[in-house]
Amino acid sequence: MRGETVESSRLAVDGLGGAEGRQTLVPEAGGRASGVAPFTGASSGGNLLEINNLTIDFVSVDGRVRILNGVSLTAKKGEVVGIVGESGSGKTTLGLAILGLLDSPPAHIVSGSIIFEGRDLLKLKPDEMEEIHGTGMNMVFQEPLDSLNPVYTVETQIAEALKVQRKRQDSPVQHEAEGETRNLITDLLRNLCIDKPEEVLERYPHELSGGMRQRVAISISTIEKPRLMISDEPTTGLDAYVQNRILGMFSAQRKIGATLLYITHDLTIASQICDRIYIMYAGRVMEAGETRGVLQESLHPYTSTLVASVPHGFEDAPPLAVQLGEPPDLRNLPSGCKFNPRCAYAKDICKETEPNLEEIFGGRYTACWRVDKEHGKFS
Amino acid sequence: MGNLVEIENLTVAFRSKRREGFFRSGPSLKALDDVSLTIGENETFGLTGETGSGKSTLAKVLVALYKPTSGTVRFLGREINYKNRKDIAFLRQNVGIVFQDPVRSLNPSLTVKEVITEALIASKSIPKRDYDERINFITKLVGVTKDLLPRRPRELSGGQRQRISLARALVVPKKLLVLDEPTSALDVSIQAQVLNTLKKLKSELDMSYLFITHDINVIKYVSHRLGVLFYGRLMEVGDTRAVDTEPKHPYTQSLISHVLTLKKAGLQETVVSEHRPAPSGCRYRIVCPAAFERCAAVPSWVDLGGGHLVSCFLYDHSSGKENRALLPAAATTGGELPAPLRRPS
Repeated sequence: MRGETVESSRLAVDGLGGAEGRQTLVPEAGGRASGVAPFTGASSGGNLLEINNLTIDFVSVDGRVRILNGVSLTAKKGEVVGIVGESGSGKTTLGLAILGLLDSPPAHIVSGSIIFEGRDLLKLKPDEMEEIHGTGMNMVFQEPLDSLNPVYTVETQIAEALKVQRKRQDSPVQHEAEGETRNLITDLLRNLCIDKPEEVLERYPHELSGGMRQRVAISISTIEKPRLMISDEPTTGLDAYVQNRILGMFSAQRKIGATLLYITHDLTIASQICDRIYIMYAGRVMEAGETRGVLQESLHPYTSTLVASVPHGFEDAPPLAVQLGEPPDLRNLPSGCKFNPRCAYAKDICKETEPNLEEIFGGRYTACWRVDKEHGKFS
Repeated sequence: MGNLVEIENLTVAFRSKRREGFFRSGPSLKALDDVSLTIGENETFGLTGETGSGKSTLAKVLVALYKPTSGTVRFLGREINYKNRKDIAFLRQNVGIVFQDPVRSLNPSLTVKEVITEALIASKSIPKRDYDERINFITKLVGVTKDLLPRRPRELSGGQRQRISLARALVVPKKLLVLDEPTSALDVSIQAQVLNTLKKLKSELDMSYLFITHDINVIKYVSHRLGVLFYGRLMEVGDTRAVDTEPKHPYTQSLISHVLTLKKAGLQETVVSEHRPAPSGCRYRIVCPAAFERCAAVPSWVDLGGGHLVSCFLYDHSSGKENRALLPAAATTGGELPAPLRRPS
């Protein structure tokens, strides 16, 4: 049911085409050659996931559009990593690429590697990838109706996830009486803050509210106990209560040491649950680092824009400090820094040359000409 | 400040289609139940609540897309008879609406200029020779550049589409603009731009807003007064600052304490029980931590002063103060009053 379509084998991996690739962002195991590592069972340098210089194009009759450009990212075991960006930033493509769910065509992986537990996912065969799906890593999508099967009840779908999990873990309990599975699922759901799970279990996805549907989808993901859980905007469009409930589910996951990649456009949410965040714009990482630091002392003007965009104060408050401007058009990106048309600090160099993502001080990275690298200050 | 809109005891009921379960209680579902509120001239009234609380139903009643089951709506002092075409035309001439989804609310086959012109043609109040002038005026105001006019909606970004929805709603001057989640589908930096535009527009065009959103941060930032809906019933109304800093209804208190902000560190470790409306009495009493026997009846409005009204038995009619004596000992925990803020754990 989940993750049975594996497209990774059809993705062309072209290790040579990354001329435009930018500096990598690998704090520890730097300079790792892409795609060596046969599976050893051990994770590389403490990183459960390591993405190096990933560049992805979408090719269509209209031409070639670069969706991701030299993205590097790491996630340690037990870490909650946020990927924050607005539409067109490539954050969803990144999530799908990790899972190998990008359709090819149109997707074309130009360069880069995605190393998960020491194995380069881009070089795996479909059946190897399928083994990783579900219990190795899985994804919660923005629209739960797309990920739930409309013709099965919630109970059937959760039971299926449980079955897969047990099979993979070689659990001694493979089967049990029907009532027991049900009790088990009910308990699981209750732990995930769902009131009266009995009522939910008999329903079909379309009979549930949006928030409940999303929580069912998250339950399925968590029951599989993935080593890496990717969630793509799971709370977008839901009200404060439902958001809180869903975030509560994730923070419970966090407590039991799950590694989570949390994709969102909402800084307030990212600030609640992420250890580190990556700010993305136009398929590039603009800033990265420990969450509080990034939000409180932003190095990149785009991050500052995002922070200033969160409404604060009352009716008589001054206008929000944002520049006018539209989201980036990936077909027609400006030269130099891709944020320069919307940037209050844009200088000549910003329009000519694109800055590299560089470490400014301990664990804080940014790609901006404004930051004086030597002194860690704005120039 | 006179009242532009006066809504009294508005009820909108939908007949359910063989729907069992969630609302098993009756054959019809009251999306709005006995709602009364006023919107002043040049005022932004914020309406908030969870999904399904009836926010959008109220918006649609104000542009006569839904008819009230009972209750009255007065606009500029004129009582609207929803069966009378002239009244509906009067309402629509003065009330504009912007919907949440910027994709579905624009006709994909029309250019931006045609979309805006349609509103002018439909109004019949503006002579044809003035069309261009009106379009120029309004597009400049909402921040749509001229080069967008010959384009079609699919070529535009979400923020641009929402600005065009705004232009279409306002190209014929309106007294009230209903904004139903106008920024929920937008990116955060675009939302901020649209909010800035909305505030600027209001001061320049001399009109009122009914701003509907579930995002408390947004509604605080735009509205003068705030109403909180819970399953079709208004729980609390008052000056935004008062409601936000001193929420009185247990529901509002809970709602506001759950708002995520950038400053709050760490996730709140709370378990919120599912919200189910009570079939009778106070709708919130099933989940309310401070509920007691009296809540089986429908609470009437208590005036707390300064236009701050709350519909809750915790407050005393005559003094407007929290009436602790009303609470029976059984409802308290350990001899202490259940602080309305305390959520069930």
